[in-house]
Amino acid sequence: MKTYPKNYPIVQVRNLQKHFPVGRGQKLHAIDGVDFDLQPGRTVALVGESGSGKSTVARCIMRLIEPSAGDVILHGNSILPLTPLQMVEKYRQLQMVFQDPNASLNPRMKVRKVLEEPLKLHSHLNAAQRTTRLNELIEMVGLTVAHLDRYPHEMSGGQRQRVGIARALAINPEVVLLDEPTASLDVSVRGQILALLKELQVKLNLAFLFISHDLPVVRHVADEVAVMYLGRIVEQGPTEDIFHNPRHPYTRALISAAPVAEWGVTRKRVRLDGEISTPIDPPAACRLSGRCPIEQPSCSTRDMPLQEIGADHRVACPFAVEQFPERATG
Amino acid sequence: MTDPILKISSFSGGFAKETGDVTQILYDVSYALERGKLTAVVGETGSGKSVTALSVLGLHPPSFRHISGSICFDGIDLTSVDARELHKLRGSRISMVFQDARAALNPVFTIGRQLADTYRLHHGGSRRAAMEHAIEALRRVHIPEPESRAKQYPHEFSGGMAQRAMIAMAALICTPDLLILDEPTTGLDVTTQAEIMDLVLGLARERALTVCLITHDLGVVAETCDHVVVMNRGHVVETGSTEQIFTAPQNDYTQRLLAASQLSEAAE
Amino acid sequence: MPTTQTDISSPPPLSVRRRLFAVIPTRTAAMLSRFSLSMWLGAGLLIFYVGIALLSLFWTPHDPAMPGVGPSYASPSWAFPLGTDRLGTDLLSRLMAGTRYDLGISLVAVFLSFSIGTFLGTISGYFGGMIDSVIMRMVEIFQAFPALLFAMLIVQTIGAGVVNVIAVLAFVGMPDYLRLARGEVRSRRDWQYAEAARLVGNNSWGIAFKHILPNCLGPLLAFTSINAAFAVLVIASLGFLGIGLSPDTPEWGNMIARGQDGIMTGQWWVSLFPGVAILGMTGAFYLLGDALSDLFDPRRRT
Repeated sequence: MKTYPKNYPIVQVRNLQKHFPVGRGQKLHAIDGVDFDLQPGRTVALVGESGSGKSTVARCIMRLIEPSAGDVILHGNSILPLTPLQMVEKYRQLQMVFQDPNASLNPRMKVRKVLEEPLKLHSHLNAAQRTTRLNELIEMVGLTVAHLDRYPHEMSGGQRQRVGIARALAINPEVVLLDEPTASLDVSVRGQILALLKELQVKLNLAFLFISHDLPVVRHVADEVAVMYLGRIVEQGPTEDIFHNPRHPYTRALISAAPVAEWGVTRKRVRLDGEISTPIDPPAACRLSGRCPIEQPSCSTRDMPLQEIGADHRVACPFAVEQFPERATG
Repeated sequence: MTDPILKISSFSGGFAKETGDVTQILYDVSYALERGKLTAVVGETGSGKSVTALSVLGLHPPSFRHISGSICFDGIDLTSVDARELHKLRGSRISMVFQDARAALNPVFTIGRQLADTYRLHHGGSRRAAMEHAIEALRRVHIPEPESRAKQYPHEFSGGMAQRAMIAMAALICTPDLLILDEPTTGLDVTTQAEIMDLVLGLARERALTVCLITHDLGVVAETCDHVVVMNRGHVVETGSTEQIFTAPQNDYTQRLLAASQLSEAAE
Repeated sequence: MPTTQTDISSPPPLSVRRRLFAVIPTRTAAMLSRFSLSMWLGAGLLIFYVGIALLSLFWTPHDPAMPGVGPSYASPSWAFPLGTDRLGTDLLSRLMAGTRYDLGISLVAVFLSFSIGTFLGTISGYFGGMIDSVIMRMVEIFQAFPALLFAMLIVQTIGAGVVNVIAVLAFVGMPDYLRLARGEVRSRRDWQYAEAARLVGNNSWGIAFKHILPNCLGPLLAFTSINAAFAVLVIASLGFLGIGLSPDTPEWGNMIARGQDGIMTGQWWVSLFPGVAILGMTGAFYLLGDALSDLFDPRRRT
């Protein structure tokens, strides 16, 4: 495990953009300028609903799809100019856990083969060393050696996700992107997987990007939260700040809509009108305009950049500060 | 306690395997739905919550075998009535909303047509009157511009809108005494989820509907339901008022599920 | 999961097949019980043909190539169970030897078209773009001709002989595999396990052939059987037209052609028995293919 100075950014994402052409010269703006840093031992959560572009961010960082503009910097060097072959080298440091362990494990491969593949392709370990590493890995994610000889369909969802995590960690990466790692799991299993991730993060000093739509989970795991809406980050800051003092109307709507499994909690709901607007060629305007409860005339005429409103707390709404002066109930 | 509208007593059943053996999945499931109340049936994958509810409507998978026990709806034992009678109850007195609304709607007919056809099936009347009822129902579930929306096809609806249309069909076009919602908000965005639950709550209050909400999400339950039934691996492990379940859960599994839902450290 | 076997009032009666399987280990039995009647029939018939082909290597009642082992046009008898032809060769012996040619050639050809077609189809489906366009346009040109006519044309051009017939059949059969493999691979190209495979260090070839292709093999294998039936028909047709194998080869199509003079004059057996043999073999392949495509149908998987 390498040690880095405090706040050392392993990964820096700068003005990342991804536009998909959808015909007739139109473009779908899946991501429209996203910035954040990932640091060892810390978790940044990317929160948003479907269509916010949060999963596309992870795919762009891994270069499973090519970003349209912007930069992804790993240890000070941009990885976007790298050839696919050079990129494979970077996958030793950069790994990803997928949402649905059902779909991300090859149904015809036993766990042993799944976990051995990265070792064969990325390391020079001999057969005996690989076996040692496999046993170590499978126990590290809370499974037993017996699980190595099972097929994915012979295991439960939680066990499969443990295998997905083991595969990502097989070659000791420094950064792991977690794309909704608990979304397809039962609640009781969810807690176990989150605990495992936390334990591994501390043990291996991993930098996590945690992509999720599940606010209670994000509050539980993240050090920093970035809220995405229609391809943009609308609010970004330390987790407690975001949850105790959300500023952007969208953040407030999102937090106030999240169900709380406790008796007697009444939520003060912030409601948005209508439905999410189209990401195809959006105008230069606040992305929430048309739905926003505190909309001003100027909102639909210009872009709303992120503005610093507190220590590391940025909001893409100049009216949020005045309109919501009181602290949210929490 | 007043006479409940639905009473499931010692209901057991299982799935037949190819060899002819039956793997039991429901063990003496008993719960009752009180008239005009919202009852949540909570459980995780494999708890049997959905199969039990589907059995009420006779919609369980074909390999399901009823072993013992009864399901009593307003004095009628549903396990012994024939298919035709069950069919008559479905829609007119009991209706159901499924998880994936877009899959439950027929892709080749417009939303308005489907609602209108269902209306005529239960209430008769002219096409034109039925369509007016359909549009009115869409308006009541807060679908904007219901006149033009009624002319659209299911694929033109978002997941949340389709679920609203399904609720309009199940609760307003059909005028049931009992509405069963099977994971109605799973897979929808958080903000949409909250709106759908508000809608269900409003309709239930307004029409004194009995609602059975089948869900895995205790968060949705806390604010909306009167009673909770907790199921685990084919057993009902605890029933009680929502307050009691959330503040003083007796059963070990309920406690664990609650802790896991609240993400408290005890869950780990 | 607590699973218990529960007695219910009226268990469904056990079928004969089920009782038969009671003695076989459960997993094998579960697999075998998915085999349908057409599977059993098709496979049984094929095994019979393979047996005959192997047997003919060591033993036939008479020398299949030797004319005059009996009288010309002897009707079926104990000495010559299926009779003899105009030259007095024993039909049963020729039929047995012919199994080697018709079965052997079709299997080798099918193997070749399967391998080449699947290989090209996987490349085409996975990489897409220019490679895909080039491959697919070529395939479309070839497929614009009716397959049998095309085969006849090529054989006429390059000449007769076992190797040439195999080559032609492989070539004619290949586009179907290519299209099938391309479609299957394409539909799985964006699956998450393909992405995951890239992240653990696979290059595109590794993903396409190690991860995606094995998951596509079911329908391709089922098709081999249908393709083999077609190949048998083409071999026999070429033989019948006298442009496939040399006319004295004991190939079933050749044999029918040799017997066609006799049909009018009452020597029906010379053409009939090879015809039945062809019918049986194509039937067997079709039955098997039908059963296999049912078996590999993803909708039937649980």
